[in-house]
Amino acid sequence: MQEKTNEMIKIFIDKEPVDAEEGTTVLKAAERAGIHIPHLCYHPAFPPEGSCRMCLVEIEGFPKLELACSTVVKEEMKISTKSERVVEARKAVLEFLLAEHPLDCPICDKAGDCKLQDYYDEYGLFESQFKEAKEKREKKLKIGKSLILDQERCILCTRCVRFLKEVTKTQDLGVFHRGVHSSVNIYEGASVENNYSGNLAEICPVGAITDEDFRFKTRSWFLKEGESICPLCSRGCNILIEYHPGFSRFELPKRVYRIKARENPEVNGFWICDRGRYGYSYLDERRADQIIMNKKEGENELTCENISRHLGEKIKNLSSARKTSGIALILHTWLSNEELFLLHEIFKNDLKVEKIFFADLPDGEADGFLLTSEPSPNRRGAQEIGFDIKTVDLGALADGTDFLLAFGPFLSGLFSSKDLRGALDKIKTKVLFSSNSNELNSLFDVVIPVALIAEKEGSLTNVEGIVQGFQPVLEPPGESLPEWKVLSDLGKELGMDSKFYSEFTSPEAILSEMGKKIPFFKKKND
Amino acid sequence: MKEKVLTEHFGLENLYKIDVYQKQGGYRATEKALKKMKPEEILEEVKKANLRGRGGAGFPAGVKWSFVPDTDKPKYLCVNADEGEPGTFKDRYIMSHNPHMLIEGIIITSFCVGISVAFIYIRGEYEAIALRLEQAISEAYEKGFLGKNILESGFDLDVFVHRGAGAYICGEETALLESLEGKRGNPRLKPPFPASVGLFQCPTVINNVETISNISHIILNGAEWFIKQGLPKDGGTRIFGVSGMVKNPGIYELPLGTSLKDIIFKHAGGMKEGKKLKAVIPGGMSAPILTADEINIKMDFDSLVEANSMLGSAGIIVIDDKTSILDVLKVVTKFYSHESCGQCTPCRIGNSWINKIVKRIAEGKGKKEDIDSILRLASNIEGNTLCPLGDAAAMPILSITKKFRKELESHL
Repeated sequence: MQEKTNEMIKIFIDKEPVDAEEGTTVLKAAERAGIHIPHLCYHPAFPPEGSCRMCLVEIEGFPKLELACSTVVKEEMKISTKSERVVEARKAVLEFLLAEHPLDCPICDKAGDCKLQDYYDEYGLFESQFKEAKEKREKKLKIGKSLILDQERCILCTRCVRFLKEVTKTQDLGVFHRGVHSSVNIYEGASVENNYSGNLAEICPVGAITDEDFRFKTRSWFLKEGESICPLCSRGCNILIEYHPGFSRFELPKRVYRIKARENPEVNGFWICDRGRYGYSYLDERRADQIIMNKKEGENELTCENISRHLGEKIKNLSSARKTSGIALILHTWLSNEELFLLHEIFKNDLKVEKIFFADLPDGEADGFLLTSEPSPNRRGAQEIGFDIKTVDLGALADGTDFLLAFGPFLSGLFSSKDLRGALDKIKTKVLFSSNSNELNSLFDVVIPVALIAEKEGSLTNVEGIVQGFQPVLEPPGESLPEWKVLSDLGKELGMDSKFYSEFTSPEAILSEMGKKIPFFKKKND
Repeated sequence: MKEKVLTEHFGLENLYKIDVYQKQGGYRATEKALKKMKPEEILEEVKKANLRGRGGAGFPAGVKWSFVPDTDKPKYLCVNADEGEPGTFKDRYIMSHNPHMLIEGIIITSFCVGISVAFIYIRGEYEAIALRLEQAISEAYEKGFLGKNILESGFDLDVFVHRGAGAYICGEETALLESLEGKRGNPRLKPPFPASVGLFQCPTVINNVETISNISHIILNGAEWFIKQGLPKDGGTRIFGVSGMVKNPGIYELPLGTSLKDIIFKHAGGMKEGKKLKAVIPGGMSAPILTADEINIKMDFDSLVEANSMLGSAGIIVIDDKTSILDVLKVVTKFYSHESCGQCTPCRIGNSWINKIVKRIAEGKGKKEDIDSILRLASNIEGNTLCPLGDAAAMPILSITKKFRKELESHL
């Protein structure tokens, strides 16, 4: 697809010539040239509001300072973003904002990633001249299922009001009263209950809207962040995972404290849904971190290192006795494109296994915006690789099966334990790869702990067919390891063509091979 | 040269009724415009007349109309009758004494610009005047001056009266549009200007009551005549509203360029018994204050700009020597602090902050640095706000504080 690009014109920012797209604003042109113009009310998702007055710049030929967020660039425009007049105006705006701000940073959740704090650090650092009494307002107003509004910290940028007007169209918040008494408040009887409410705390540039899920749990400066893909539905929203690297003196209850939206105009814009934002407990809770052996497996102790050799031998025995019809597979669509491809190559193409089932969470309801009905991230990928997505049928699964290789913890959500036990008891050898412990652990002979998407490398194909890569953000816990590693080793053990599998030293190598075999996965620019 | 244009027949019994108005020659301008003139000719005449906006900014009306683009979208006229500027009370006189003069102006303006729906956005407190306007409008409908196919010209026009809800900011043209659309009256970011994107996102002309009321006179008597009533660059008369410590407060229609001293001492009868002139606010409260020594000045847009003040709405507030300038400053800062819409930072917090300082000084708790703080804060508001209210507040605050610094310091 050829993207339409506007004509480029030349402007000057702080005396440096800069190429700017015709029709763009001063702020965007500066941003593109790597020059940050401070702003609070402006958010790229919305039209310019022009109310905070932080982005004022000096433009040659204009008597007043002009807004960078709304002024459109013109050929040869000469813009100063750091002149004395501009810096003084910024200081003045900060002085005004801070005059009526409670300055309760030590107990504010936003401290550390607050724009007001950052700008004060950059432009302010002045003594407060405000000797009057500050306005008293509501400090702890519950405005939604997990949102708290502090009207005193609010700088009235109205990003939240505009989000609820333009994105969710629910219009739960508004600006009430006038002048210095103006405050953001919830309309009578309303509550921010939509599936995108968490974005409000994220777009609030200060600590006015905070999220109960995060509030008072940690301080933002302890956290590190990494880029990932949300696996909780097939949209594939781009996210940031914020995790605590831990303290040396004492243990923390969890690693992950917050999920944030990461901008991607093609997938999720600036937003993520509340399901994706708040549903991160699986990353830390009930994690499988050690291999579990419920049945003695010969003389050797199984480890994650030798598991593929062990599995290879088992399967080789079956295949030399022409018993591959006794092999069954249960897969799921949290597996990456690369992992599903290896499974497809080994089991479907090489071993001609027919009993391949899928066990995912049951379908939910799409919300008409980002959340899809598919509660896993890679169903489209599995389809494009060539799998027929058949949900597990316990009768067909157990019938004549000697060896079951199952992936994922989701089977337990689909059937009662009694039915599961009944079916699995009929199968002689059962191996499970799972990231999270549940009742399945006792039903399999061996349970191998595996990494989650946040802990490994690979790619996913979203509902619209966009292939997105991801890198590990977190360390896989304990002995757990990514499935692609086990599978590429297993491929080497079993493969008709072990040279083919020996190339697969990384998900990147696998994906590049996939591109040769399946046109869908061919890189667009190759 | 006759002196009165707009207020000529004021005082005539039942002038607000269409029959009486017509007997004085009313609606002849409408007939002339609709039957004998092309819209372009009207526009040319109004441009030549140098009719400058009477709301405060003094923008030439004809130029404003010519900014309206030629589109298929509906176009609107909004008559700004919000008259909220303290010290201003001219539009209420026009509307209550001679509503048909305004309606005639609306008809001719709409015909000229190609508008078929006009609104009069009237200050909420003017309830009785709104009723009078409604009555006059229905008379005009009955006589065929409004409605479909007016005077068989093929031109249609409907006029609606919309009452505001009491916010000063709704006199700012874009806040007025928001309010008229049923929203909170917050000013809009400009550009786009209302002439291209205005009411309901359509091209819109917004003019003050007094501006529109001049139109029928320009049409009847021509641009040349109109200029003779005032100044070459500033045509026509101005209705000056004089209030404060003068013998005869009230409205005075005088040629643009009349001296401020004459308005106070000749027309308004001079100072009240025993009072001495201390200061004058010449154009509504937003206009920078003039001291008693500065009143030898011509009252027109350009002369006042030269004197670092402004003609604004021509509301002249006369302050006597017994009035404490601190009280004046208290009233001014309280007003703008109360009326700031709260949308943009400098106006919202700056005005409230200054008002808090002034109140503290009035309570006898002033500090040495307070005067400089007021000056610094007002300068930081000026020029940096989203709409003109910021400047409207900063200008009087700065001028009062600078010109009467000694008196203010005596309260510290």
